[in-house]
This record gives sequence, C-alpha cells and structure tokens, in this order.
Amino acid sequence: MHHYLISLLIFTPLLVAVVGLFIPAKAEKYFRYSTLGVNLFQLAVLVMMLMRYVTEAGVQFVEKKSWITLSLGSWGMLKAEYFVGVDGLGMPMVALSVFVLLIATISSWTIDKNVKGYFLLLLILNAAIIGSFTALDFLLFYLFFEFMLLPMFFLIAIWGGARREYASIKFFLYTLLGSIFILIAMIALYISVHDPSSSGQLVHSFNLLNMTDPTNFISNSVLDPNNPWKIGPLDARLWAFLLLFFGFAIKLPMVPVHTWLPDAHVEAPTPVSVILAALLLKIGGYGLVRIAFPIFPEAAMHFSMFIGVMGVISIIYGGLNAMASKDLKRLIAYSSVSHMGFVLLGLASITPEGVAGSIYQMFSHGLVSALLFLIAGVLYDRTHDRTIGNYSGLSIKMKSYTAIVLVGFFASMGLPGFSGFIAEIMIFLGAFKSNSVNGLLHESLAIIATLGLILGAAYYLWTLQRMFFGPYDLKGNIAHSSIYDLNNREYLMLIPLAIAALFFGIFPQPLINFIDPFARNFSEFVLSTGKSLTLNP
Amino acid sequence: MVSFIVSGRISEKYSWAVTFVAPLFLLVSALSAGYVFYTIWGDQPYVVQWSWFTIGDTNLSAGIYLNNISALMVLIVTLISFLVHVYSTGYMAGDEGITRYFSMLGFFTFAMLGIVLADSLLLVFVFWEMVGFASYMLIGHWKDKPEAAAAASKAFLFNRIGDAGFLIGLMLIWTNTGTFDLAELAKVQDIYSWQTTASLCLFCGVMGKSAQFPLLTWLPDAMEGPTPVSALIHAATMVAAGVFLLARVDFLFTPTALDVIAIVGIITACMAALSALVQSDIKKILAYSTISQLGLMITAIGAGSSAAAMLHLFTHAFFKAGLFLCAGIVIHVLHQAQQQAHTHFNVQDIRNLGGLRKKLPFTFVAFILSGSALAGLPFFSGFLSKDAILTAIAGWKGSDFSWRWIVFIAAFIVSFITVIYTFRMIWTVFMGEEKSTASLPVVEPPLVMRGPVALLAIASVWLIVSVNPFHYHGWIFNVLHSGKHFDLGIISFISVLWITLAVATSYFIFRKKTISSELLLNNFYLDKLYTSAIGKPSLRLASMVSFVDRKCIDGFIHVSAYAQVTTAHFIGWFDRAIVDGTVNGIASLSRVAGNMTRSFQGGKIQLYILWAILAIIIFLIWTLF
Repeated sequence: MHHYLISLLIFTPLLVAVVGLFIPAKAEKYFRYSTLGVNLFQLAVLVMMLMRYVTEAGVQFVEKKSWITLSLGSWGMLKAEYFVGVDGLGMPMVALSVFVLLIATISSWTIDKNVKGYFLLLLILNAAIIGSFTALDFLLFYLFFEFMLLPMFFLIAIWGGARREYASIKFFLYTLLGSIFILIAMIALYISVHDPSSSGQLVHSFNLLNMTDPTNFISNSVLDPNNPWKIGPLDARLWAFLLLFFGFAIKLPMVPVHTWLPDAHVEAPTPVSVILAALLLKIGGYGLVRIAFPIFPEAAMHFSMFIGVMGVISIIYGGLNAMASKDLKRLIAYSSVSHMGFVLLGLASITPEGVAGSIYQMFSHGLVSALLFLIAGVLYDRTHDRTIGNYSGLSIKMKSYTAIVLVGFFASMGLPGFSGFIAEIMIFLGAFKSNSVNGLLHESLAIIATLGLILGAAYYLWTLQRMFFGPYDLKGNIAHSSIYDLNNREYLMLIPLAIAALFFGIFPQPLINFIDPFARNFSEFVLSTGKSLTLNP
Repeated sequence: MVSFIVSGRISEKYSWAVTFVAPLFLLVSALSAGYVFYTIWGDQPYVVQWSWFTIGDTNLSAGIYLNNISALMVLIVTLISFLVHVYSTGYMAGDEGITRYFSMLGFFTFAMLGIVLADSLLLVFVFWEMVGFASYMLIGHWKDKPEAAAAASKAFLFNRIGDAGFLIGLMLIWTNTGTFDLAELAKVQDIYSWQTTASLCLFCGVMGKSAQFPLLTWLPDAMEGPTPVSALIHAATMVAAGVFLLARVDFLFTPTALDVIAIVGIITACMAALSALVQSDIKKILAYSTISQLGLMITAIGAGSSAAAMLHLFTHAFFKAGLFLCAGIVIHVLHQAQQQAHTHFNVQDIRNLGGLRKKLPFTFVAFILSGSALAGLPFFSGFLSKDAILTAIAGWKGSDFSWRWIVFIAAFIVSFITVIYTFRMIWTVFMGEEKSTASLPVVEPPLVMRGPVALLAIASVWLIVSVNPFHYHGWIFNVLHSGKHFDLGIISFISVLWITLAVATSYFIFRKKTISSELLLNNFYLDKLYTSAIGKPSLRLASMVSFVDRKCIDGFIHVSAYAQVTTAHFIGWFDRAIVDGTVNGIASLSRVAGNMTRSFQGGKIQLYILWAILAIIIFLIWTLF
C-alpha cells in the first residue's frame, strides 16, 4: 500500500474532479465538501508518509512506471517515465502543500460564484502542485508545471477583482515565457542525456536523477560537460543553466521579472492568493534546487555571485516597494518578493547552512505568507477596501484580528520565535561564510541583506501604526457596520497557520531533520561535481 | 531550579486573574532567583544545555550559563520586576488592557532573563529581539494614542537597526569560530583581526538596546508607555541588557574596540546629561538621565572595568526604578485628582508642579533618597558605584596626557550635571509653592504602590554596596572584579568635594533659574537629522522604486506587449492584404481569365465566326511579316 502513497496524493483530487464533472452545478454543497474531503484524505496520507519517512535515506516512496517509450530509429529511443518520489527537499514541500491547500479550501467557503467550476479547478490545481513537487522525471515535472497554469489563469480571470483580466493575462504570459525557457533547456538535456541502465541501444531519458551525473551525457552532444558546444560567448551548458534559472526565477519571482506577482495577488481571490504565494512561488525555488543547480553545478558556481546579487536586489527592492505600497495586499506581495530574495541568496552560497536555510525559508514563507494573505482577505471580505490609508485604530474594534495581524507581521519580520527567523539566520550565516569556505559569495552581500530586515520592520510597523493603532476612524466608503471581529471559520484557518509558524520557530529540529541531510549532500555534490567539471574544460 | 523561573514566567502568560497571580509568580521567581544567587555567587559557572537545532554540521544548543554576572542580573531583574508588578496592580487598576499589560510585562521579564541566562550568543540574540518586541507592545500599550504607537514603532525600529549590526557580528563569529557557545568563545585567546570588527558589530546591538549615541533618541520617546514600564525598561530590562551583554562578552573585545566603546559612551553621557538639564517633562528628564548613566557604564566597560559598570548597573537599577515609580505616583495621583476636580493640565510638565512635599510627604522622602543616589551624594549607593567608574577611568587614562584625559574630565562634568538636574527636579516638583496643583485634592496612593517605592528608596543607601560608605570594594565588586586592583583613595575624596560643590551650585544658582536651550531641548536635533537624512530619503527612495516598478519594468512589459500586438496586427494585415491579397488576386485573375475563356464557348455562332476571322487575320499577319 505505502508504495502508492504519492500517487494517492496526486490522483485523488483528479479523480474527484472527474467525478465532479458529472454532478450538476446546483449541488454546491457537494463540491465544497468533496474538496474538503480530498484535503483531509491527503492529510491522512501525508501523516502516513511522515511516519514512514527515513530522514537519512534519500529519495523515498519511489514509484517508477514506464510511461512513453518511442523508438526513433537511428535517433535511439525516447523514454519518459512516471517517476515520483520525495526526499529532504520534496517532503517538506509536499507537507506544506497539503496543509496550505486544506486551509485554502476552508477559506474558499465564501465563494458563491460558479461554485462547481471553482472547486473543480481547485482540485486540478491541487493535483498539479503535488505532482510538481514529487516528479523526478523532467517531462512529468514539466507536464505538472504547465498544468498548474491553466486552473490558475481561470481562477484569477473569473473569480478575481476589478482588473482581473489584465492581471491574469500578465500572469499567464510571464509564466509562459518562463515555461518556454525551461522547455528549451529540457529538450537540450533530453538530446544530450542517455539512460545508463539500457545497454546497447541509445535511450534518451528525462530522468532527473540521471541528468545530475555528468557521465550520463552523450559525448559531443550539445550539453556534454567535457566538450560542450559554444553558442555565442558562452558554453551551451551555461546557456542552458541560464534558461532554467530565468525560467524558475520568473516563478520565484526575482526582481526584475516579478511584476506579475503584485498584480496577480491584488486581483486574485483570497484563497488563490494564498496558494499562489505559499505554493506556486516555491515551485520556482524548488526547480532551482531540484533541476538547475544539480544538473549544471559548474554553471551554478560560475553564476553564484550573480544569483546572490540578484537575491540581495530582490530583498532590498521588494522591501522598498512594500514600503511605498498603499494597498495592503500589494504590500504583502512585495514582502514576498523580498523574502524569496533570501531563498536566492541562501542557494547561491551553496553551503549546508545556506541551502538548508533556503528550503526552511520556502517552508516558513509558505506558512507566513498564507497567513498574511488570509489576513488581508478577512478585511477585504468585510469592507471591499484594502487601502491602508483608509483605516485607523482598527485594534479597538477588532481585537482578535489585531492580535493575529501582530503575529503575522512579526512572523514575517523574522522575529525570533517564528519560523522565519530560523530560516533567515541560517541563510545569513551561510551567505557570510561562503567566501571563506568556497569563495563563491562576497561577505558584503549578507551585510547588505541585513538592510532587508530593517526595511521589513519599517514597513510592517508603519502599517500597524497607520491601520491598527491611533484613534478609530474609517475613510472612503467603508460602512462602520462592516467592521466586526473574526468568526469561527476565520479562526479555523488563521490559528493553525499561526501555531505552525510559531512551532517551527521554537522547535526547528523536526523540520531540519528532513532538510539537513539533503542540504549537506546537495551542497557537497554541487561543489565537488562543479569543481571537477571546471577542471576538465 | 533555574528553569523553574523560566517556566513560571511562561505559565504566567496564560493566567487570567492576572492582577493577583502575576505578582505572585514574580515573587516566587524572585525568591528562587535569590536562592540561585545565593548558591552561585562567587562559585563556578553553572551550565545546562539542551540541543536546539543543527546548522550544517554544528549542533546548536539552548541552555543556561550562569556565572556571577548573570546571577547578579537575575537577582536585579526578578526583584525589580516583582516590585514593578506589585506597583502596577495599583497604577494600572481599571485599565481595560490589563491582561495584555501583565502578560507582556511577564513576557518582558522572561525575555530579559533569557538574555541573562542564555549560554550562546545566538540565543542571546533571540531573546534580545524578543525584548524588543515586548517593549514594542508595552510602550504602545495605550494603542489609541498616536504618539504611543509612533514611539513604539520607533523603539523597535531603532533596536532593529542595532540588531542588524548584532547579526553581522554573529555572522563574523560564526564564520571565524564556528560556534556561538559563550564558554567555547571565552577560550579563544588570541586576538584576531576579525575580533575588533565583530565586537564593534555586537556593540551596534548594544547601541540600539542601551540607547547609546547615535541610536539614543527612541528612549525619551518611549516615555509614552505606562510609567511602571518605563521603570522596568530603565532599571532592569531592555537598556540594562546592552551593558550586561558587554560585560558578558568582554573577552571578545580588543583594545581598539574598547576605545571606540569608551568614546561612544562618554559622548552619550555628555549629550544626554546636557539634554536632561532643560527638559520640562519629568519622565523625559529621567529618561535622559538614564541614557547619561548608561553612557557612564559603557565608558567604564570601554575603560576595561566591567565590574564597575555592573556595580553601577546594580545600584542604578534600584534608584532609577525608585525615581520612576515616584514620578509614576505623582502622575497617577494628580491624574486621579484631576478627574475628581474636572481640570486638565499636563501633570508631567514640572513647570506646572511645585510644593508637593506637603501633599505627598512619603513620595517626597522616597524621591529625595533615590535622587540623592542618582546625584551620587555620599552615603548613597550611587556615590560608590560612580566612584568605581571614575576610579576605573582614572586608572585607564594613564599618567601621560592623552585623549583619555578628556574622557576622564568629561565623566566628572557629567556627574556634576547629574547633580544639577536631579536637584532641579526636586526643587521644582516638591519645594517652593504649589502651582497648578494648589486646588487639587491630592492624596498618597495605595499601599501596593508605596511599598515597592519604599523598598527601592531604602535600597539606595550605601549599605547595599559595602559597609564602608566611602569605599566601593564591597561584596559585589570584589567578586566580579578579577585581575589587578587599581585603587585611588584620592578619587573618593575629590568626588565628595566635587559633589558638594555641585549641590551648592544647584542650590544657589539653579533653584530659581532655569536654563533653556532649543538645541538641548531637542537633543541636538538628532531626531530632525534622522528624519531628514534617513527617514525622508528612504521614503522617497521607496516611492522612486515603486515608480521604477510601475513605469520602467511594467512599462517595458507593456511596450513589448503592445509591440507584439502591433506586430500581430501588422502580420494580420499582411496576411489579409498581401498573402490573402495574392491568393485572392490569383483567384480573381483566374476568374477573369475563366470568364473570358468561358465567354469563348458561349454557344453563340456569331462570336465563333468573329473569333475565327480574327484568328485568321492574326495568323495571316504573323505569317506574312
């Protein structure tokens, strides 16, 4: 049974979605409860997985079925597999996904426009997200990756706010551009890599684990590490890395390819914002760790300074933009840009601390950003106005809400005791240490990045001061009757996230047990392989 | 036995019958702190460690590292906190946020104890920031006051700026030693070049927390919080944390770093003392005096005597808490009297006060006692600890004239000014004739408020330091101080004369006169400078960046989108006009041709004959020519 746990996670929502197609749209209750049922079922499966997971054992719960096998004559064989599994990187991400998707379903309860369509799309999205976090075959990953776009596009375009069409098209085009980059790199990889397990015939495969081994590259192919093609000024391998990097950086998002994010967030309905911030952004970081870095380690080392600088730019630039935002949701969106910059900085250091910190940051940001977008959603549900300047002294009327906001804001600031602190301290230590250990990043990057912490405190405190403290007042067309404190459903979705953020801030070891072995192997592998490849030009 | 203190604090956070339970918990913890102090004092350090989490290959622990300094601090923190808790039950009675208040007060004490007991620098940093958070909540306790919210934000932000420096120091230490453990770090003997940078980075954190130049302006603003909170912040928690940290990690500091620390300390001490001279808000005078005293402690640490600094921290904790609580009484009873009499004036403004010795005799005596300690009068604790600091600086300055002499002289000037502003408070608030308060029915506050004040005032006399009122080598200093003794009896003698002179000056010159200076009132315009040099530019930068985001990046996206759409339109036109046009053209050509040729076969005999004749003619012409 436990050999199929991952497939259960991926296909249950799809199956329920297919069944749902034949249920009349009038049965709104059915769609809500069946989606919730799927989430709870996934939670149960997740618990089973966590119980059976062995922290030091690498990739686990592997399922490998042949999927597409196509003979191409003299070109050899095309082989794509249904190949899924989780390791110290995938497991935390899957856990985060299951948890956040459950919360997102709870927060979707108030959706009343075309309920059937909404929940079916949510189920498809669910399957695609978990699929991308578990796929170990590049073609399969790409399929899930693209598969996410479509439900996302419709969820924003149909259930979104006033400028939803603009935002959804922007989102779609941006991500599509990233997908094309990834597609090109994938095809080049597919041409260059053969499956070592098949003797005799040349078999091209999409197996991600095979791609990380430099000996699996066909000699004189495009991306042959010993003799790569030169395209313009750079090796083809460096180009391929850049394509993957930008493909995933758009998703992450990294400045300057981030502008889809604020618009998409501002226009998306709350649950979709939650999924977008907590999970979809992580696929960018996940892709870098899973695909770009280990397959092209020498390119990762070559560009690490560049990546680190881009990370720091994202941190500062996102923070400044957040400070200038007048819309609460926009502010949170830009703070996401700032926080994901830390992920880049930590990865670029390729130290165990930095990489572990990056993964921890992805996990922690998943919790905290979900909390923050729900917070913004609570207010928007009541007043349909997110302008910071239109509120003042909300703490007087909404006591519990203010308490949750305080938790969310301070968690996002990286106050010790919350998960973000552990992540950021590890990233800082890793990034700073990098110069003396592997010489990849300069110390100044970490020092400049501390400015991001000050900026974070500045924009959150300023928002608190403007919206929640001071005398109670409302401006604009907000009815006073619309201001009331949290209800039970809102507690149900906010409290678990707040507790989780607090738990992983005080007791980081349970999560680090998953991440740490992976991060150590990863940084060691990337550094040693990267060095050996640059030595043999 | 120590974890008991910590857990007592945590469980207290969830108690509801707080006004009763919270002080009780604090009493328990103060008692256990006393026991801890008794067992640890003068003994070997006590260490307990639990594994917290691993970073890379290193296992980070969370634990307790208890030596003499921290034992002393535990005692101060719990004792003062207990007294403040008791006092608060009277002061905050009837406040609607009282649960929040007490839970944050408990959390504040807990975080401060965390700093004091933590065994690793990382853990110190964790609690360091938590103290910042707790102070944010407490300073901003009266949320609906915009000034309180602004002051709270400012306090946290200034601390954050210092903490960023602290964090950089942590990174340096981690990179160079691979450990945060205090006991391990203490073993590092050689002086490496990174140590200067690292220790100065840690000192940045101290500047934020202990309100040293240039990060000092948040502390006077923080007076917006409830007065007991101010007492706690100024005496036991928060600002004391900085001095404590320096004393705790003094083994890290290199001579260069110590010089910088001494200079920063003395600059702060002078600036704050001067500013305290001209303030009119009683709490602000006390706030500036705290900054000034902290500056002296920091100078002492810079001069290499953390024992003297700790001694002053110890005595300062009692008399400053006492002063704040007295000020709190004045504010509290006048507020109540105002509510009864339906009048309103600013009770914190000392220009409105006067002659309160008649209506508040108890407070008057307590204020005199604590104030004398602050001023450093002989027979008070402040005299001895200040003496220790001056002796330390005197020993450090050397016999040849150098810039260190300036520090030495400045320290004396600061102690002179301290006397003047202290007695200015006493003259204007308690002596003379009653001013705005004349008609108010002022009565002494309840016992829960007077009790703590009485204790603190009694603790301001010399006996808590040593038996000899002119020699500071008592039970505290001798244990804390290791290394060679430097003694100058002459310093005590000079101090006595000097202080007497200062008291005389203050009595004869400043009893009636007041100095006013806009520059000093605004604390050298530091705030204005920060707003215009840092605050506004960063906001402008923020809006500029947002402009870049909207216009440049999005603009580029839009332009490329428009370009695509335009290209698409052009291609569409090309498709219709040229490609389709060609196809259609060919089609219509063939249609014309078809029509023409079809017309050949229209079945009309006459046409056939016509074509035939034309063909014959053409043929004839072609063959003939």
